[in-house]
Amino acid sequence: MPDTFELGGRPVYTGAHVTRRQDDALLSGQGTYVADLRPSGMAEIAVVRSPIAHGRITAIHTAAAAAVDGVIEVITAADLTDVAPYPNFADAYTQTPGTFPLAQDKVRYAGSPVAVVLAEDRYIAEDAAELVEVDYTELPAVTSLEAALEPDSPRLFEDWPNNRLLDLQPDDSEVAAILAGNRVLRRRYKMGRHTAMPMETRAALAEVHGGRLHLWCTNQHAHIARTTLSYVLPLAERDIRVVIPYVGGGFGLKQHLYPEDVLVSWLALRHDRPVRFVEDRAEHMIAAAHARDHMIDIEAAIADDGRILAMRVQVVQDLGSAEIFPGAWCPALTTAAHMTGPYDIRDCVVSVAAVTTNKTPGGSYRGFGVPEAVFALERFIDEIADEVGADRLDLRRSMLLQPADLPYTTASGALLDSGSFAESFERVVELGEHAYQRADARYRSDPDSRIGVGYAVLFEGVSPTHHGASAHWMGHESCTIEVQPDGGVRVASGVTDQGQGTTTFVATLTADALGVPMETVRVELADSDATPYGLGAFGSRQAVIGGGAILLAAAEVRGKVKRIAAHMLEAPEDDLVIEAGRVHVAGSPVPAVTMAEIATTAVIRTIDLPPGMEPGLEATARYEPELMEHTPDEKGRINANAAYANAAHAAVIRVDLGTGEIEILNYILAHDCGRVINPPIVDGQIWGGIAQGLGGTLYEDLCFNDLGQPQTAFMDYLVPSAIEMPDLVIEHFESPSPNTPLGMKGVGEGGTVGPAAAIGNALAQALAEFSPQIHETPLSPAVVRAMILDQPA
Amino acid sequence: MTAPTARRVEPSVEVPISVTVNGEAVEAVVPARQLLADFLREELRLTGTHVGCEQGICGACTINLDGEPVRSCIMLAAQVDGSAITTVEGLSSEGLSPLQQAFKDNHGLQCGFCTPGFLMTLSTVDPDEYPGEEGIREAISGNLCRCTGYGGILQAVRTAWNRPQDA
Repeated sequence: MPDTFELGGRPVYTGAHVTRRQDDALLSGQGTYVADLRPSGMAEIAVVRSPIAHGRITAIHTAAAAAVDGVIEVITAADLTDVAPYPNFADAYTQTPGTFPLAQDKVRYAGSPVAVVLAEDRYIAEDAAELVEVDYTELPAVTSLEAALEPDSPRLFEDWPNNRLLDLQPDDSEVAAILAGNRVLRRRYKMGRHTAMPMETRAALAEVHGGRLHLWCTNQHAHIARTTLSYVLPLAERDIRVVIPYVGGGFGLKQHLYPEDVLVSWLALRHDRPVRFVEDRAEHMIAAAHARDHMIDIEAAIADDGRILAMRVQVVQDLGSAEIFPGAWCPALTTAAHMTGPYDIRDCVVSVAAVTTNKTPGGSYRGFGVPEAVFALERFIDEIADEVGADRLDLRRSMLLQPADLPYTTASGALLDSGSFAESFERVVELGEHAYQRADARYRSDPDSRIGVGYAVLFEGVSPTHHGASAHWMGHESCTIEVQPDGGVRVASGVTDQGQGTTTFVATLTADALGVPMETVRVELADSDATPYGLGAFGSRQAVIGGGAILLAAAEVRGKVKRIAAHMLEAPEDDLVIEAGRVHVAGSPVPAVTMAEIATTAVIRTIDLPPGMEPGLEATARYEPELMEHTPDEKGRINANAAYANAAHAAVIRVDLGTGEIEILNYILAHDCGRVINPPIVDGQIWGGIAQGLGGTLYEDLCFNDLGQPQTAFMDYLVPSAIEMPDLVIEHFESPSPNTPLGMKGVGEGGTVGPAAAIGNALAQALAEFSPQIHETPLSPAVVRAMILDQPA
Repeated sequence: MTAPTARRVEPSVEVPISVTVNGEAVEAVVPARQLLADFLREELRLTGTHVGCEQGICGACTINLDGEPVRSCIMLAAQVDGSAITTVEGLSSEGLSPLQQAFKDNHGLQCGFCTPGFLMTLSTVDPDEYPGEEGIREAISGNLCRCTGYGGILQAVRTAWNRPQDA
């Protein structure tokens, strides 16, 4: 790494417990979310959604709704004559759904937007929406990925040859040859259908100012949203401003530009008045992105001691109707890239299919394909151990990457340049075995309890290219730093904050990289008019890539600060240090010049600048990680991430034989995200990620019946509460990457990745006497009870 | 299906209410069907009360109604005539209250959307009725948070209630 990625001095805030910038506002009810905005003259929309999963629209009757007092207009797809469908930049290898904001001709999921009522307020809009009558000719619904794969399955898109939006079948001849000559074990694993469920639903408010569209929305990236709006609306990008105020959690779900974002924009322009959409939770359950819903088939050649010699894997992802932008097939590719885990498995070939079904479109959700891979592989290793009579820990040890193996390129092309795979695993085993023995001693005499401990060890690609998702945007981030004449600093970046603390992170790195007090740094994010073009929040990227851009911009400003100070102090530049906003010779605090004196010289009294120096004290930098690749090679290998974090999980559980309930007695995690910037924020990401991982493992599942009718209301989608959440033991490892700024890796998703595997393995041990088949999540009490009774749930 | 004959949507009946909100007397005439959360947010512009589900499940909209934690998304504004309400904006007249400060010091919030609901629940319940570590979890079990995994929130309450974890 070049030294421009260094902090430039002794860090004051980096690595310290810095409290967050927004907390005072948020704690006193002063944080302004999109739904809190209410400009005068504002109208609101209600969306008429399809009640059926699959059908042809034969007529839409809007007159009765349009006649309601207070209704301004009712629109359908036929009105959107100047709107283009979302583009598909991946049409070289995917089918194109041609997604449009309102259903044209056909509906492909229950919840699909069909018409919109614009009214003076939401109460009136909802009243009128009930009066919109839509005539449908129902079509048979495809409601599972197995059904979608059938050759004679009804098709969602009649102009496609099948329901496979994506179908990658790499050459598997080398692996097939190894399979043919060895003992082969086959298993199928499935993960249920989840959703991110941020506590704030989606919202968007469009206004027109001086002929320009201003969209306030909950999207995770201001610039991608702006560009996408320019693709679908008849507007130039310069005439669009996207602002993202306080956001109540994103977790990937808010990565997509949804139909309602386009519709409020179109209506605001048409009527020249502010138009707001605030999703209600019932809508959110069927209209905001779903996720997971993967099926993974593993075939592995195994040695006598259980070691995996080669793997052939098929990943199938259920995309729902796929009517979403950016597209949602990328989690399946990410699953494929993680199928070998942090093990030395040289031969692994993965085919990937992403299929359409008549369900809510799948999209992004924290973890993004990795929990699926880890659940399948880590369960598989425990099953191999059972099959060959090996110790499951020793079997892992025999394959785990050791420090001497690094750097290591996985079969999928991921460059693991650093990490603590074996060390973190051993630490978790030590703690896990101890906790298990205590639990076993406590419950041994209880005939209704069974105790188990399960492990999972994993790596996780972080800071990914966006290419897999959009086939368009890549992976850079941007930053502008300006020192103003009074010495205060304005930093503007393309990263965004959904509550994870990005604002505080940006202020922290900027302050340390410039050597100024943090309270003199003002952070501007998520306003496409105020920040340089950036890609925003996804894939645990903002610290690594956003941080890199900050450090680059700061290094340029810092160099100029020192050159000006050297001139003012008549001292050699190399002898100078910047501390607390003052520049002086190292070791002698006086004489010094302040940041205000330097910036005043640079911006106002330019006559005092060194001869020939340009005025101004600001820099804009962009950082694109060098080793991140965007397209696979001819064998499908790609290093799709700038960094790879790692973790090991252990869960000690008690199973109640009478009820099938799983109680988590201990949850232990050793994680490694490289250099830590803000310890409480890192811990908070881990706790929140574990909670979501546990939710998907034990409680959360979005169910559909054979007609494609959604069966899961918010009441049934059991987001863990404080009662269900165990205490965590978190062990920190720090293996800085040699290839990222400050050695940082991402931490946003790691916690979500391990729980399904750890708990699945713990359950297998606890219920060993019943020979349970643990191949799917959720592991709800009904499912576990059926294992105990040896009957289907 | 055919187009329905035009159904008239009856205009709402309006109801006069007198209510004390954060110590101030409020006189209003509200539509009979208006949710209390919408009255607070849209009419009084007290947008710190957040609406997360409109089903009484998530607890984000919790307010203090005559000393009880109440979900303002499943009450009507017309029902609070004669009552006293405190919202998150009324928790402290200057700076942060000790409970709010404990949330800040212990990283008890991330996105902050659920936070007012937690604060209003906690500021309304009597800690003595929720003893021990399990009591803390019980007290906040009606409020959902999707960011923190509750770790920071639990630590904040332990701090605010002066209740060490091992007690």
